[in-house]
Amino acid sequence: MTAVVGAPERSSILDHLEAAELRARRLFRLKVAATWLALIGVVLFGLWITENIDFAFIGEWGPFIIGGAGLTILISVVSITFATILALAGAIGRLSGNPYFNGLASLYVSLARGTPLVVQILFVYLALPQVGIILNAVHAGIIALSFNYGAYMTEIFRAGIQAVARGQREAAQALGMREQLVMRRIVLPQAIRIVIPAIGNEFIAMIKDSSLVSILAVEELLFRARLVGQQHFRSLEALIIAAVIYWILTIVFSRFQERLERRMARGDR
Amino acid sequence: MHLRRAMPALAGMVLIISACTGPGASASPSGAASAAATPTENPFADVPAVVCVGEATTYLDWLNGVLQPDVQDPIAEPAGTAGDLLETVQSNGVLRISTDSNYEPQSFREPDGSWVGFDIDVGTEIAERLGVDAEFQHQDWDIITAGSWSGRWDISVGSMTITTDRKELFSFTQPYYYTPADIGASTRSGLSTIDELPFTLPDDVEAVTRPTDANCIEEIGAGRPEFDLFITSGTVIDAATNAGQPVVRISDPLYQENLAIAIDKAGPDHDALLFEIDQIVGEMHEDGTLTELSMKWFDEDLTQDPGG
Repeated sequence: MTAVVGAPERSSILDHLEAAELRARRLFRLKVAATWLALIGVVLFGLWITENIDFAFIGEWGPFIIGGAGLTILISVVSITFATILALAGAIGRLSGNPYFNGLASLYVSLARGTPLVVQILFVYLALPQVGIILNAVHAGIIALSFNYGAYMTEIFRAGIQAVARGQREAAQALGMREQLVMRRIVLPQAIRIVIPAIGNEFIAMIKDSSLVSILAVEELLFRARLVGQQHFRSLEALIIAAVIYWILTIVFSRFQERLERRMARGDR
Repeated sequence: MHLRRAMPALAGMVLIISACTGPGASASPSGAASAAATPTENPFADVPAVVCVGEATTYLDWLNGVLQPDVQDPIAEPAGTAGDLLETVQSNGVLRISTDSNYEPQSFREPDGSWVGFDIDVGTEIAERLGVDAEFQHQDWDIITAGSWSGRWDISVGSMTITTDRKELFSFTQPYYYTPADIGASTRSGLSTIDELPFTLPDDVEAVTRPTDANCIEEIGAGRPEFDLFITSGTVIDAATNAGQPVVRISDPLYQENLAIAIDKAGPDHDALLFEIDQIVGEMHEDGTLTELSMKWFDEDLTQDPGG
């Protein structure tokens, strides 16, 4: 029973405590939000005071810069999809009893995590043509991002698979299921539930790492911001626009992820 | 032993000290020292003896004393067009043109994302006369001039100067226009001619490079102090001055640039395409199209060979 305001005889002491806790939590969140607004306000005020912010420029070129976000999101979504597929294969390989499959997977993880992402991007675009593989800039960027993120996600998925209680696997084996069936029907569905939050995190990181593809002259958000900022020496305005858009994208997808996590956790209550 | 425990701290200190006294830090202290030491009889004594140029440009070659201006090789009428890049272009209906889109007034962008500029207009016209559409791709200048385009685009309409070195990598058409290479200076330096400088170019100066010469102007405009001098096409300096950027031309032409369309020699066979485009450029000279475009973007006719 929840506390009834104004009718103390209908509320129990536990309800009062609960209500007080709720109020305290809400007040806390309100104060945090107020702090956010105050800090952002201070920064905006500081910029405004320098009288060096060209709002006409922002109005004129803002749409062009923001238009790059479309390609940013596209690259991120496609890359995270491929990376997830690579990661599933990699995780199974890392846990595999087959030494060759295991070796391939562990080499992949070591190589992809051991070389800088920007080197991988440049490699796919500039180095591969020398051995006859020519890719356009967007494809090169997606391949490099998928390759790189697939390795990090491999480790996450591996942990997720291992986190599925051994009892599940043993029960499945007791029922006579073959290893492949166990993996496919029992372990992976549960593992995926565990790793979805991790995929969400990686996707959010991917949105920001997609900015590295700008070095291949891909017309995404950062490329456009730098082009326009340098051309009119308004890099402050242009880069702030880009940073804010990345921030907004991150916040939006974080919210999605929080909702998704809460939804999936419902079964646990 | 105490030494063993001190090792990480010692290693850290060595790293920090070497970083501080490395090339990064030496620029500013020595600059400040020389500025303080020289007596200010010459009001331009504290102009840094540094000249900014674009990477992979002939301006850098000039500073390094290795400039070799040249003319295009004679272009023979091809035997046929079978298997030629011309055929590919015409069957695809698209001519892919590389250009650096931060190079006003030759090539730059409008807020709606469209490409504009002298090079853009020339490229569009050429594609039209070939009966195809023009598709522009931004590429960094040093990637365009490195050759080996891996078939990513077909031609460069990017105001490329014909030099002996470049002829080994590219097939050039006849020049479509000519510009002077000039020295520019920031207005904050107060210079109006190069004779005012206490040092001579190109001998006494250090070259710094940026991705393009346009970046040099932009950095001056953004107030960065590393250099006051730069070399670029006179057209670029004039466009910048007219756009209100704080730079001026301060020299007579250092040399004339023959600017032509280039095709990658390491790419597919292109004798027919080269011949066709060269013919088109010739026609555009004769029928006044190039002169018209030159007047539009540069307020002067730069399409006549100055012979210099």
